[in-house]
Formats: sequence, C-alpha cells, structure tokens
Amino acid sequence: MKRIIALMLTVLMLGGFALAEDAAPGLLRTAVLYDISTMDVAKTTDDYLIPLNVFDRLFETRPTGDASELVNSLVTDYTVSEDGLSYTFTLREGVVFSNGSPLTASDVQFSFERLLMLAQQNTEIAEEIAGADKVMGGEAESLEGFSVLDDTHFRVTLSAPNAGFLAELSAPAMSIVDAETMAKAPKFGEIPADTIGSGPYIVTEWVANDHYTLVYNDKYWGPEPEVKKLVVRVIPDATTQDLMFKNGELDMIDLSTLDSAIVASSYKTLPEGRVVSTPKVGLNYLLMNENNEFLKDVRVRRAIAMAIDVDQIIQGIYMGDAVREKGIIPTGIQAHNDALEGIPFDPEGAKALLKEAGYSDGQIHFELSMDSSSSNSSLQLVYAVISQQLAAVGIRAEIVSHEHSAWLALRNSGEMDAFVARWGMDYNDPANIMYTFFGNENNSKARSANYADKAIIARVSAARSIVDDAAREAEYQALEKHLIEEDVVWVPMFAELHLWALGERLAAFTPHWAGWTDFYAADFAFK
Amino acid sequence: MKRSLAHRLIQALVVLTGVVLITFVMLRIVPGNPIETMMGEHADGATIQRMTAEMGLDQPLINQFFRYISSVVRGDFGTSYSLGRPVSELMGNAFANTLTLALLAALFAWIVGLGCGIFSAVNKNRLSDRLLMGTSLLGISLPVFMAAMFLQYVFAYRLHWLPVSGTDSWKGFILPAIALGWNNAGQVAQMTRTTLLETLQEDYIDTARAKGQGTMGVLVFHALRNAMLPVMTMMTIQLSGLLSGAVITETVFSINGVGRLMVQAISGRDIPLLQATSLLATGMVILGSLLADCLYAVLDPRIRRGD
Amino acid sequence: MPWNRRKRIERASDLRLESQIGEEERFGDLMRRMARENRTAMASFVIIVLMALAAILAPLLTPYAETDMDLLNRLAPPSAAHLLGTDEGGRDVLTRLLFGARVSLLIGVVPALLSLILGALMGVIAGYRGGMADAIIMRVADITLAFPSMLLAMVIMYSLGGGIVNVFLTLTLVNWANVARVVRSETLRIRSGAFVEAARVIGVSRDRIMRRHILPNCLPTLLVLFTLNIPTSILTESSLSFLGLGIQPPNASWGLMINTGRQYLYNAPWLCFAPGAAIMLIVLAFNFLGNGLLDVLDPRQKKQ
Repeated sequence: MKRIIALMLTVLMLGGFALAEDAAPGLLRTAVLYDISTMDVAKTTDDYLIPLNVFDRLFETRPTGDASELVNSLVTDYTVSEDGLSYTFTLREGVVFSNGSPLTASDVQFSFERLLMLAQQNTEIAEEIAGADKVMGGEAESLEGFSVLDDTHFRVTLSAPNAGFLAELSAPAMSIVDAETMAKAPKFGEIPADTIGSGPYIVTEWVANDHYTLVYNDKYWGPEPEVKKLVVRVIPDATTQDLMFKNGELDMIDLSTLDSAIVASSYKTLPEGRVVSTPKVGLNYLLMNENNEFLKDVRVRRAIAMAIDVDQIIQGIYMGDAVREKGIIPTGIQAHNDALEGIPFDPEGAKALLKEAGYSDGQIHFELSMDSSSSNSSLQLVYAVISQQLAAVGIRAEIVSHEHSAWLALRNSGEMDAFVARWGMDYNDPANIMYTFFGNENNSKARSANYADKAIIARVSAARSIVDDAAREAEYQALEKHLIEEDVVWVPMFAELHLWALGERLAAFTPHWAGWTDFYAADFAFK
Repeated sequence: MKRSLAHRLIQALVVLTGVVLITFVMLRIVPGNPIETMMGEHADGATIQRMTAEMGLDQPLINQFFRYISSVVRGDFGTSYSLGRPVSELMGNAFANTLTLALLAALFAWIVGLGCGIFSAVNKNRLSDRLLMGTSLLGISLPVFMAAMFLQYVFAYRLHWLPVSGTDSWKGFILPAIALGWNNAGQVAQMTRTTLLETLQEDYIDTARAKGQGTMGVLVFHALRNAMLPVMTMMTIQLSGLLSGAVITETVFSINGVGRLMVQAISGRDIPLLQATSLLATGMVILGSLLADCLYAVLDPRIRRGD
Repeated sequence: MPWNRRKRIERASDLRLESQIGEEERFGDLMRRMARENRTAMASFVIIVLMALAAILAPLLTPYAETDMDLLNRLAPPSAAHLLGTDEGGRDVLTRLLFGARVSLLIGVVPALLSLILGALMGVIAGYRGGMADAIIMRVADITLAFPSMLLAMVIMYSLGGGIVNVFLTLTLVNWANVARVVRSETLRIRSGAFVEAARVIGVSRDRIMRRHILPNCLPTLLVLFTLNIPTSILTESSLSFLGLGIQPPNASWGLMINTGRQYLYNAPWLCFAPGAAIMLIVLAFNFLGNGLLDVLDPRQKKQ
C-alpha cells in the first residue's frame, strides 16, 4: 500500500516538474469571463477584443496620462468644412489586409454601408451620415453622404453637425473591412479564416466557449508589437482565474470581478508595476424612480442623497480603488465638471429635511432591486451598505433580488423603485450618458427614472447638435448642475478603478483609454 | 430477453420525449423576453421586436415546439442566445471534455473503491478496515464542491503540482477526475466490502476452504467473482451519473464541459442551450440505466436461465 | 441518485408495520430501542436536536444581528469577539451560520415533508386505483427519475427563479417520485392482503380503506424515507446555492455562504470551512439516523 502511494506521488511530482516549463517568448496568456459571440463588430456591442486587434479604424483614441487624445490611424490627414457638415479624409498609403488585398477608400465606404444594411448593432455613428436612413431602410444601396474621390481620398457629409464625429470614428464599431474579401468570405465573423482585417493580429483559432488565439500579422503597416501570440481562455469564474494567475497559468488577469479586499491583500502586495490601474470611464449611480409615491418628492430624493456616505463605500468596499463622482458626466469625458459640488453627505441634515417635509420615522419605504445574476460581490455589499445607511435616517429600503431578465424587464417597464447600476461610456461624448437617461421621455422611462421636466428634456436633446465646443460644454454643465442639485435625479456615487495584474514575464501594460476589459495586445511589453 | 429489451427501449424513448416536452414548456413559461436579455444594456425596442420575430418567439408555444422537434431530429439544436454559436458546435466541444472527465473519474472510483473494499473485507474489523470505511463514509457525505475546492487548494495552489484549470493536457484532468470520482469511490468501497463479506459467509466458500485453498485464493477465485454482479451494475449506473454530475466539478475547475455549459446557459437565460444540454444529460442517464439492465441480464445466470 | 440511497429506499420499502411496531409501540419506545441498539443513530439524533435548538435560539446565542455590517472589520480572522471570524461585509460568521441553519434546516425538512405528502398521495392513488391513473402517474415519475436530480433542480430553478419558496418547490418536485414508487408497491401489496379484502367485502368505501389501512401501513417506510430525504435536500440546495441558483442574498443558507465564501477561500478560509463543516455534520447525522431507524424497524435486522 505504501509503495503504491509512493509511486502515485512520484508520478504526480514528475507531472509537476513538467508543468513548470516556461511559456514561449512573445506568448501572452490571459482569460475572459465570457466567450465572444462573434468576431464581427456589426453584430455586437460587447465583444471588442478581436475588432480592436484584428481590424483598424480611421482614428484611434489613445490614453495620455489622465486624459485621452485622438490620433490618426488609417487616416493621415483631414479637413472639415465651415458648416461642420462635410469631412474630407486622406487614407494612409500602402495599407493591405492580412490576405494581401489593399485597403482603399471604397473599403471604408463598404464598411459603413454594411453596418447600416445589417442594421443590427452599432449603427448610431454611421447613422449620422447623410442618407443613412435610406440605406438602413433598404431604399438605397449606397450611402448618399459618402463619396469616394480616389483610392486614398473620400468625403463624408453629415445630416447634422456633430462636434464629436471624429472621436466617434475611433469606436470599434467603425472598424474597416475588405470589400473584395467579404464577397468570398460568407462566414465572416464566425470562422477565423474568413475574418480578415488590416490590424496587427490575425485570428488563427477559435474553439467556442474554450479559447481563441491571435498571432502577429506580418503585413501590418504599423510597428511590430512585442506580443507575438495571444491566447485568450474562457474561464467564467473569477476565483478560478485568480488561482490560475497565482499558479503561473496566466500572464495577465482582469481584477475587476474580484473583491477589492482580495486585490488589496494578495495583489497590491506584488512588486511595483505588477498591478496596473485606470479609471473605468463611467458611473455607478443610485437611481430613484420619480413615479414612486415617496421618491416623487424631491425632498425625499435629496434626503437620500444626503444620507448616503459614498466615501465610506469607496474606502470600505473598494478599498479606495474608486473615484468619487458627483454629477452625471464622468471624469475623463468632455464637459466633465470638476467644480460641481453635488449634494454633500449630511445624515443629520437628511433627518431634519424629512422631518420638515412631514415624514415620520420609517414611513418612507421602497424596494431596492438587485440583479441577482451579477457576479460582482462588491455590488451586493454596496446594496447592503446603502440600505443600512438609509435605515439610519429612518428610510426603509428593502433589498429585493431579481433574476437578470426579470430585473431588466421590471426596469424597462419603468416601475422599478430604485436600483444601483453602472453606466459605462461607449465613446468620449457627454450625450452618451445625458441623452440616454434624460434626453428622451421613453429612454428615461426605460431606465425607471421617469424624469418629467419636459423643458429640460428638450434642452438635453438639443445640446447634442451645438457645434461650438465651449458653448456645448457650458450647456451640458448647466444641465448637469440643474439635474443633480435642483432635481436630484440620481445619487451619483463613484467610478471604480479597473485593475489588472501582470505576471512575472510582463514589464508594462497600457489599458484601453475608457478602462475597458478589452485591450490592444500591442500595448503590452515583456521584460 | 429480446422482448424485454425492446420493451425497455420503447419505455426509454417515451421518457426521453417526456423530458423534451417538460423542459420545453418549463423553459418557456419564464417571464421576460430572452431577446431583451440577450441584447443587454444597449438594446433598442425595434431591434428587439425584429429579432423576436426572426427567431419565431412570437408564435404560439405549440408551433414553436413542433418546429423545435423537427429541427432537433435533423440535428439542429438552434443557436445559443448567450454565446451566439450553434448549440451543436458548443455541445460537441463540451461533450468530449465531459466524457474524458467522467471516464477518468470512473476509473479512479473503481480502482480505488475496489481496492479499498477488498482490503477492508480481508482485514474485517481491524483498525485499518475501520479507518478506511470511516474515510469512505466521509467521501460519501463530502459535498463535491468541498472536495473540488480542497484538491484545487492543496495540489494546484499550494504545491503547484498540477494546473488549476486546463484541458489541453492530461494533467488538467487529474484533480477534477479525483474530485468527481471521490464520492463514487466511497460508494464502491462500501458496496464491495459488504457484498464480499456476504459472499464469504456462504456455504460454497467453506467448501473451497475445505479443499485447501487459502484465504486469499478463496477471495480471488470465488468470492470476488460472485460478488461482482451488484458492484458492476452499480458502476454502470455511476458512469451515467458522472456524465451528468460533472456540473460542480466543471464549474470549480472551469472545464468547458456539458455541466459548465448548462450553468452558463442558466445564468445567460439561454433557452436553446439549456434545452439541448439537459436533453443530452438525461439521454446519457437513460442510456446508462439501459446498459446496466443489459449488463445485469448478461451477467446474472438466473435472469439468463429464466428467459 | 447515489446507489446507497437507492439500496436504502429499497430496504425501506420492505418494512412492515404490523410485524414491527404494533399498536403498543409508540415513538418513545422506538427511540428507546434505537438508543439501546444503535448508539451512532442516537448521537446523530441528539446532534440534530441541538442544531435545531441553536437555529431557533439564534438571536439569544449571539450579540450580533445577522445583517450588521462592519466595513472596517472585513474578513477578520477568528478572534474572541468573532469566534468564527467575519465575512466580506464584516458580518459575524458564527451569527450568519446560526441564522443560516434556520434556512438550511427548513430546506431539509420542508421539501422532505412536502415530497412525502405528494409522493404518498400519488403512490396510493396509482397503486389503489390502477389503470389510467397508475399509468400516467408512474410515467411522470419515470420521467422525473430519468433526470439527474441536480439537473432537474437546475431546470426548475431556472423557470421559477431563485428564492426560498422556489427552492422548497423544486426539491419537492425532485424528490416526490421515489416516495410515490415505494408507496405504490406497498399499496399494491397491502391491497391484496386479507384484511383489506375483508374490509372491502363488508362494504367499507375505497377512500376509507386508503385512509385507515393503507397509509398507516406505509408509515415506517415513510418515516425512513423522510429522514433520508432531508440530507439529500440539504445537499442539493447547497449545490444549487453554490452555483448561485438557490437561495438569494440578502438571505443566507450554508450553501450560499460557501458560494460567496469561495472567492475568499485563499484569504479567509473560515468563510467556507464553517458552513462546509456544518453541512457535512448535519448530512452525516441525518444519514446515520436514517440508517438507525431502518435497522430498528427492519425485521431481518432484529432477528440477527
């Protein structure tokens, strides 16, 4: 018996030594929680890792310290007409797709038109081009506002001026595909062989729900990245990812679904530079439904905002890994207002306000609806803390768990009392958050906000087309101040920091400017 | 015997159809539009409506059911809502892993279980027997997730002998197989010991002993062969149980198998995927018990004679 | 279904009331006999009673409230103030464990009882009525049994959504079929027995026969099945909750505690260890008790 055990242990140990072999140079191993559903950006708003690395766009938004800037990518030069409607672009010379086919102005046109014709996802930006509605409606095949001047020159005409248009062109949605290849690649986005782009990497393998592999594209026009091969495994469980990283099976993990307490105790103790962080450009907020019998009273909403100690949440739950937000337009987005005071924490004031408004202790009650499928244990703690803090001023906020689709259905019906959620920014423009929540009555209802001031709604909607940057910024900031300090439409809380841990082999990593989980593989450096 | 087998086959088909019908109805009485869930945060109403119509989800349930059955018969299980891939492709990838895992777990359970059971029976009521049986009892009552987490902690996290997760080499399968087979090993051990001891008490063993064959010889040549029937049947049933019981193990070790797929299907409100995975899992169980019946019929001389 | 359990259910169905506990033997006597003959079972019974008491008296046994958060004291290791440490929200783990025992014990007992009632009813109807009713009920039972219990539970939880009431319902639907099968065969056996025949001859109604003769005769079998269904329910619920499909926060069961504790396993092992040990203890205790009852009630065992 002893001999058998000894034998088994020997076998296990040998296995162990064999495992310790080093990963090949240039290989980056990482894991994601969910597999991608498609590699085609016209069909997804979630899965941007492959579009970012396999395709190019006309521009890219790149992080610069605390802010971000727009840099040329496929475009080398452009001019804008006086009325802000018409843009003339010059394409980079000699760019080819990974199968050798050249990238020309008509490929750009094809890419935009394809997005509109498919009309599934990510059409918002292309819709601003004149004639887009006809292409979407199937009435026209070619985009009226797009004219190809020659192989490297084209002009785009918008239906209304939009100061944010160039920034929007850097969104993954505006990835450029090859018209010629697409004609003979019916499984574009589904199988690697048909998914051809001009970016620094080529997809070589995709085993659904298991892993996918990218390798360096030697026809890429730009500088050669240090990462030559990227293997992304699907590990739907943060704890397993955590263990795999600690066991040396992964070179990089996203720490955002791990509890900050774990991050603090086992990752912050890693040597300098092994944990990389960037703000997740977005906002966690507590939404209060203005159709609720208590929450319709602005004094109640104000008292709630005064009763919640956001700093305690940031320090206690997120261990300081979050940025305090006081308004609607988050840090890092144009028109963000650092000087906005918001509503300061003041529990005594909250009690006094409620008393003055004639509410007795415990009279105010509502449901705080939680999405139970959220894998994020920090969010559960946020709910518990908010409920406790509100109880301290005599408001009963009962936490109710709903399964994800039930939660979504209830919220969309406009009848959810209150909830905590996060809005992540898609592109660097305040409209992306202002308009979504307060620029349209239907939008506002679908968020269970039911914001009712029609004059403000109209102004939020109109602010989108102010061309002058300064005027636009001033209008957005005025609206934000009114919505937060007068109407108390929500309790702005914080933007978490997005943290990544780097394994021993890595020297540096620059995350996506908006703090996305998806990254450019070229932004890694080995030791 | 042929007739009873045919009868069992028909019964199995009826049960399988029932399973499909029940899961189909159960999965569709859930409130909330699956398309809305699938599209998530950034969806707009018009797109949701169009997709709902495209997928035939606005049709009466009965039409949907027949449409589903006819496509399943053609081998088309639809497209996963949450993963966006054909369900058959996803299941193909996953089933290979689950099958490997279940076979390895069964191998572990049988070798360790039989070994311990025989050892215990030979050393009946000695300290080693009690210790071993105590451990096997612990094995039976230890929840799989505890066993899995424990193994992962000790052998991957602490000792770094084996990977935390991975199906690209056999090493990744060792810990999950032990975690999954742990329970069954305990059951096999207990069962082997009991049946062996029962057989040992029977008369013909005494005869063999009188003929001068030693204790070990008696065990191997007579008792073991006779005691194997119930143990073998149990092992067949266990195998199908392992195939479907890998849910927790696959989750803890994050192995892309049918069980993990099912958990993903549930959290993603993914009806086609859930429907197909539960069909596959129950199909395996039905097949397993059918096989067990056949095995029993072949091995048991009484049944063979009686037919 | 685990093989041992199947075996025990088969054995349980062999129990005879009339041959064992006569009119004169009551519950107390039964317990006394078990205390004499099977000490492990008796010890298990005591453990179960103690756990139930601890669950009921939870608020008196701990100075903390179940949901009291203390963000400055997260994941604190066991100490004099917190005997089992604190969890990710700074809540006292011992307190959570005691309150969790309420949920976990309820989840053991309620579905076991409900499935017993449902299964017995279905079994008696199928066995006594025969014909169409029998065919339908038994086919449905077959289908239920064809599902691996964990998968069936997952599918039902999917349709119903999480929460304690739905866990009750799910576990009932998962466990009734076994009971129905056993009771049906018992009914068939008793139905052909002389005294039922006699009762029918003298014109006693069918319902009365079922109520007065058949169900009481199934009682020992049912008692054992009930005891053995409890640990199965607790284990199934803990697995469901482990996968996040069972009890939903802010409620807490032991399984859910392990589910949330798992991600802290390597930083705060007590979060998993305490509820894990509790689950093992209670499951073992109920299994021993079930086996003990089986032995005490089993005629063959008595002869030896």
